[in-house]
Amino acid sequence: METKINIGPVHPATHGVLRLVVTLDGDTIKRVEPYIGYLHRGVEKLVETRMFMQSPSYMEKLDYVAPMSYDELYVSTIEAAMGIEVKERAKYLRMILLELQRIASHLLWLATTANDVGQWFTIYMWAFADRDRVLKLLEEATGARMFYVNMRLGGLNRDVPEQFGENAIKLMEYLDKRLPDYESFLEGNPVFLERMRGVGILKKSDAVKYGATGPVLRGSGIDYDARSNHSYYLYKELNFYASFETKGDCLARYKVRIKEIKTSINLVMSAVNKMPKGDALGMPIKLINPEPKNKEVLVRRELPRGESLMYLVADKQRPYRLGIRSPTFVNLSLTQHLPIGARIADLFPILASLDPVMGDSDR
Amino acid sequence: MVRLLKISREELRDTLGSKMKEGYSYLTYITAVDYVDHVQVLYFIEDLENSNSETIAVDLPADDLNIHSVIGLFHAADWYERELSEMFGINIYGRDCERLLLREWDGKVAPLRKSFVWNTNYETDANGDKN
Repeated sequence: METKINIGPVHPATHGVLRLVVTLDGDTIKRVEPYIGYLHRGVEKLVETRMFMQSPSYMEKLDYVAPMSYDELYVSTIEAAMGIEVKERAKYLRMILLELQRIASHLLWLATTANDVGQWFTIYMWAFADRDRVLKLLEEATGARMFYVNMRLGGLNRDVPEQFGENAIKLMEYLDKRLPDYESFLEGNPVFLERMRGVGILKKSDAVKYGATGPVLRGSGIDYDARSNHSYYLYKELNFYASFETKGDCLARYKVRIKEIKTSINLVMSAVNKMPKGDALGMPIKLINPEPKNKEVLVRRELPRGESLMYLVADKQRPYRLGIRSPTFVNLSLTQHLPIGARIADLFPILASLDPVMGDSDR
Repeated sequence: MVRLLKISREELRDTLGSKMKEGYSYLTYITAVDYVDHVQVLYFIEDLENSNSETIAVDLPADDLNIHSVIGLFHAADWYERELSEMFGINIYGRDCERLLLREWDGKVAPLRKSFVWNTNYETDANGDKN
């Protein structure tokens, strides 16, 4: 006999305001119908009514777990339209800040995922405490703990304090030593493994077919990362390689994110060491030439949740149209396919392994 | 500047099909731009192995916003097409679309069209009355 159950929209185990209507046969999932749009704020329309540099703070609220990534993507899009070059020191600093943001975002993912699969206190507390250390460093660099609005055309709003490099290296060394604790705690835990291994398998061909992105795509054996495939800033110079796994299950997606934290730690360390001295400040907003050089631009970035791109048609002073590709939006569409045939208890690890942030999905 | 491959809506599925054979098997994004007299629908496709990307543009006259679905070629188009029809009022035929995705409560307007003016001077309350 088929049963329909409703999950959400505000259940503590769902990430953001997401509603799933699940059709079950016994406890086997037959159909999942995701309902999104609860956080739809019309950001794409809103930016059309604002001048170029009035919008970064709206962009940050798209993905409130990794706000700086959207801030940077938007400002880079405007830079491409205006034909503005980013200063060398600012390129390094942006990379450092973005990788720190990625570490903070993946740690939050780890905490909530461990919560979803029944590993409540230890990992949750560890990951949140370590994430806070990263946020503190970001606060030291930008002046804000969560919503930074630190990007300006051609550079940053403020340069980092003198001791920032030293503190960043110290924190990265700490995290480098700390990460094996997470791995041994989780991967030596039969409950965690049982709930993640072989659950929610996404085949390589399906990952491409359904348009999966980010760690979800890479967890299915596809070596694609915008940082290496569409190299930007100095990722090539710092020998960045994408991390991927082949099994396509929830455990593979977990492993990809752990590897990405390690890669980000190495990237931050080498970027801090190679960072040149000089000026990193961006252009004051008042000096921006309202006439864009390029009418249509397309900019791609690898955000913690996957590849995002912005397609901008620029008008005088403001966007005529800004299209935002949200990585959560595509990954969340997988909830219609991935859990079919799984048990109801597996729905939460599967959902968690997609790392959805509803603000990003709904825009 | 973005290099757009401009085609007509009749050529859309054949072009995407042949691009797919060339290795562009990943659909990154579908969006549209309202140029008032016409709406341009954009398909961003990607060859993941060689990191090549292509942007295909189809112009639809404002009084005839109909386009065939590409879901048969790219399953990833599912939600993008639903978003497109809700936000731009484009009729996408050749597919099932049972309900609204992002704006379940209101399917009457197409908010990303230029004819829909974002008026910041008033707010509507829960009954739809202007305050």
